[in-house]
Amino acid sequence: MLEIKNLNASVEDKAILNGIDLAIQAGEVHAIMGPNGSGKSTLANVLAGRDGYEVTGGSVAYNGRDLLDMAPEIRAREGVFLAFQYPVEIPGVTNLYLLKASINAIRKHRGEAELNAVAFLKLIKEKAALVKMSEEFLYRSVNEGFSGGEKKRNEILQMALLEPAFSVLDETDSGLDIDALRSVAEGVNQLRAADRAMLVVTHYQRLLEYIVPDFVHVMHAGKIVRSGDRSLALELEREGYGWADENEPPETAS
Amino acid sequence: MNAAAAHYLEQCRALEAAGALPGRDAGWLQAQRDAALQRFETVGLPSQRDEDWKYTSIRPLTVKPFRNTVANGDARAAQVTPAHIEAARIDGLQSHRLVFIDGLFAEEFSDAVDAIATVDSADSAKPSDSDGGAGITVAPLAGLLDKTPERIEHTLGTVAPRCSHGFTALNHAGARDGAVVLLEPGARPHRPVELLFINAAVDAFAQPRNLVVAGANSAVHLIERHISVGAHAAFTNSVTEIALGDGAQVDYHLIQASSAAAHHVCGVWARLARASRFSCRTVTVGGRLVRNDLGAELAGENAHCDLFGLYAAGGAQHVDNHTTVTHAAAHCGSCEIYKGVLDQRARAVFHGRIVVAEGAQKTDATQTNNNLLLSRGAEIDTKPQLEIYADDVKCAHGATVGQLDADALFYLRARGLGEAQARRMLTFAFANDILGRIENEELRAALSDTLTARLAGGDAVDGGIDAGIDGGGKNVDGGGGKIDAGARAASNRESS
Repeated sequence: MLEIKNLNASVEDKAILNGIDLAIQAGEVHAIMGPNGSGKSTLANVLAGRDGYEVTGGSVAYNGRDLLDMAPEIRAREGVFLAFQYPVEIPGVTNLYLLKASINAIRKHRGEAELNAVAFLKLIKEKAALVKMSEEFLYRSVNEGFSGGEKKRNEILQMALLEPAFSVLDETDSGLDIDALRSVAEGVNQLRAADRAMLVVTHYQRLLEYIVPDFVHVMHAGKIVRSGDRSLALELEREGYGWADENEPPETAS
Repeated sequence: MNAAAAHYLEQCRALEAAGALPGRDAGWLQAQRDAALQRFETVGLPSQRDEDWKYTSIRPLTVKPFRNTVANGDARAAQVTPAHIEAARIDGLQSHRLVFIDGLFAEEFSDAVDAIATVDSADSAKPSDSDGGAGITVAPLAGLLDKTPERIEHTLGTVAPRCSHGFTALNHAGARDGAVVLLEPGARPHRPVELLFINAAVDAFAQPRNLVVAGANSAVHLIERHISVGAHAAFTNSVTEIALGDGAQVDYHLIQASSAAAHHVCGVWARLARASRFSCRTVTVGGRLVRNDLGAELAGENAHCDLFGLYAAGGAQHVDNHTTVTHAAAHCGSCEIYKGVLDQRARAVFHGRIVVAEGAQKTDATQTNNNLLLSRGAEIDTKPQLEIYADDVKCAHGATVGQLDADALFYLRARGLGEAQARRMLTFAFANDILGRIENEELRAALSDTLTARLAGGDAVDGGIDAGIDGGGKNVDGGGGKIDAGARAASNRESS
């Protein structure tokens, strides 16, 4: 589904990604872990197409097509979803209005008929129930005045509605207490499917207790330095990223 | 006196000479007109040398000689048809409507004024409520001045300042018609009163004058709309005076949606007695040169006024809002929020003045002016001005100028919205904050549609795509567009 080859990227002329190689197949959940500044979030933003992240080398193929060549909205319409680390507050635009515009942009792109108000409302209420979000939030401005947990849950609601083929969850656990984390993870798990893939970016192993990955990769200085199964996450939990400050990691599996 | 001032003075004199000014038998009115003429002869028309006109040139009003129209129903009807009037209807709005064409009452397009109280009473659901419409008089100014001028002898001309700029004096001296709305104590009409002013004749000079007197504990919704038939130039110099009695409540809406070639100098003056409430919404989407002077005087204790304004300008439009809130009595509150969306070469001025008189203790006044510049060619000059002569008050003000938030734009695009759609959505949300403060649903929906159409109109928003959103700032000094120093200095400040 996604094939990243020797991806290099910089932010404000500073090289952040230095040759990422990663292949993700449909049905798989991959976790990317690593210390602060290792380039995890940069990778997430590059995949979503954010301005200011300049790709200086390498390629990303999404279902065989050049992802990097697509505008952010085209990526979204093609089924790529970024759950933001810091969801943006948009005063004056209600959640409902954004969600309707969003799903209809995607449906239109797929050549499907746009949903009318009634059909949309029915669908979004089902999705809100699925992620255990109170309907009241649908009528509020996007993320405005939401708590950290509510913002993250709102991201998962969008994900549940749009049913992306490939999702990137950027530090979805940051700022969540254990209850919020658990319920957000539940929402994510319901979206796991054989035809969908996810890339879960996180600093802590904690999230991976709830969203159990098939593969775990460790990033350091803009590269994937180790890959393994979920036991790698537990190892990192025990030993921390202290070794990352050394020049060489203890062992390299990739 | 320069040639332009002489021209407009001549327009007034010609009306007087032709006996075209109403209420000729009322001596008090004649005295007012004479005083206004004298005043105009002394001050003339404002220029950019005047501090209050520093950023607004009246050149569009002086290079072209706008003229009085002849009062001729047939000529008027040829330009304005029932279809125009129908098209100007606000969907679903049931109002008492008076129509004015080039400043003159158009009886054929207006509701029968004698029946308004009866019609309004008939609206009420419960018989016990049947006195709802009683106590309201809505009439054209000219007719009232000719028949019963004494009804407004002690109010007309007493709210607008005598020493304002020349345009106000010009209106005092030469207004031919307008609307009078009188509410007896306790009167609470069900329907809003809608005053529709239409620019129709080429190069017409219109001077409507409106008067609203809200008796104690009365309440009314007023909608004053200015539109055009045709796209030619016109100049409207209007004054609306609103006197609120004790405990009265007036919800007033000024909607400026004239053609891109029509000019409007507009004065709205309100005086609030004890415990009265004045809510004013100004929405400016049309006009080439628009200058609004809005003054609210809180003259009695526990009065409150809200001033909300939205200006959305593109092309070569120039919109200048000068507001003055005067806290003359203690324990009054005022809340002012103006928002501007400027595209292309549009220019706007916001000058918000708050005066707290000596003795007006426990005043609570806030003022906010936020501006969105969608193009490098757009410009805003924003200037708050606080004059506080009391020592136990709370006054806050703030102004911002910026572009669309780059993070929000990316967020919307990451959800599949195209860039143009995302820009429109954010721009609309910014502006809709003001429309959301309009309680009348039908009016709000109509304005929302107008704004949506305007933002979707290609040039209005998408023309600004090259405008540096890369700066990404939502703060003052965000780049693109010029900002007056006044805005820079205007971060939130409190004095208490």
